[in-house]
Amino acid sequence: MFRLIRTLASGLAILCSSALAVDEPAASQPSAPPLSAEEMAGAARIDALSIPTPGELLAALDKVGKIDWISKFRPPIARDFSSRPQMALNLGGLIADGYIAVEAKDSQQVKNLGRDIVALAKPLGVQQDIINRGKSLTEFATDNQWDTLKEELEATQNEVKDAMIENKDINLVTLVTVGGWLRGAESISSYVAEEKFYSSAGAMLLRQPGIVGFLSRRLGALPEKTRDDPVVKKTRAKLAEIETAMTFPRESPPAREAVEKLSNMLSDLLKDISRKEVK
Amino acid sequence: MNHFIRPIFIAAILLSGSLRAAETDDQAAARKAAFDVAGAFTNEGFKLRDGHWKGALELGKPQLVQVNLFAGNQYWFVVGATPQAKKVTLTVYDETGAPVATDPYSGDSTAAAGFAPTVSGSYYLKIAELEGDPATFCVLYSYK
Repeated sequence: MFRLIRTLASGLAILCSSALAVDEPAASQPSAPPLSAEEMAGAARIDALSIPTPGELLAALDKVGKIDWISKFRPPIARDFSSRPQMALNLGGLIADGYIAVEAKDSQQVKNLGRDIVALAKPLGVQQDIINRGKSLTEFATDNQWDTLKEELEATQNEVKDAMIENKDINLVTLVTVGGWLRGAESISSYVAEEKFYSSAGAMLLRQPGIVGFLSRRLGALPEKTRDDPVVKKTRAKLAEIETAMTFPRESPPAREAVEKLSNMLSDLLKDISRKEVK
Repeated sequence: MNHFIRPIFIAAILLSGSLRAAETDDQAAARKAAFDVAGAFTNEGFKLRDGHWKGALELGKPQLVQVNLFAGNQYWFVVGATPQAKKVTLTVYDETGAPVATDPYSGDSTAAAGFAPTVSGSYYLKIAELEGDPATFCVLYSYK
């Protein structure tokens, strides 16, 4: 489908390329009255805008230091889970792995992950859409089109979610988001936890109470049957601990030891999620 | 990504969005208005996020959405509305509810705010209509 879209899109490119030129504006001083607690509590929170993509997370981390992204690869995970929630969690994690492979500019790893994503998506009924995406990922990786690959990965994640919604598997969408976020957070924390790379700026990237809180509430709102899945149960329980670790004052970044503890928590949870039998 | 490919991808996102979910003509128009503004920022190296929020807007009834941002990144938040909205604003607030200083942009039925947070965490976007009739809006953002 993406090929078709790209072909059709070229017609619109002319329109888009005539978009407004933006002058450097002067920063506006805040003059609006502050929001009330009720207004903030009532604000919309939606997956498509309120949860940053792995790409945003990695873009921020890239500014903290020069990262050896290849060292952040993880061994291949199983692809034959029997539980659909577990498949969805791991699919999210694999897409985040794709972002890391792109940051590492490792075309073979991108291709491998593309194959894994397709394989894991098959039993979830989103096969055809993702097969098309998998082909695009392989093509762009072969041509070393790294920026394009980032776009493609984001589109892949959205297309997986859209297919799940179409298939009336809306509950799995939350799990894809959680899996992707966990993998992104794990890669950041494992980097910042290293003694030679620890910095206050890096540690502050782990301040994400709004995201963990949102994801925890979404997991809590899943149907009982899904909540009772062993891997979902474990994820919910661990997210509560992770939320505590990622909730700290604006002025006080966590010490390296605290980051290391968080990194271990995230890493252990990801290992549990990717284990074939979760108890 | 070179400047030729980038607009194609914006168009692709526009198209894939409309294929993805049925939307009304007004929603499509609001999204197009927002994308047209956001396209200018992608030429500055900002990456457009493939996600948006849309809804109804009218005088005296602003809309709020929470976003979670990372210190070090730069963001442009954009709202596009249907022409019934003559003037719209987009204001960014921090997690305490205090408004933050932003780089403003304002156009016909569109507005944008550039912001580089120094603290990672939750922020709020407030979209308000200051002049006009009830309209449909679409919010999206780009980052680098």
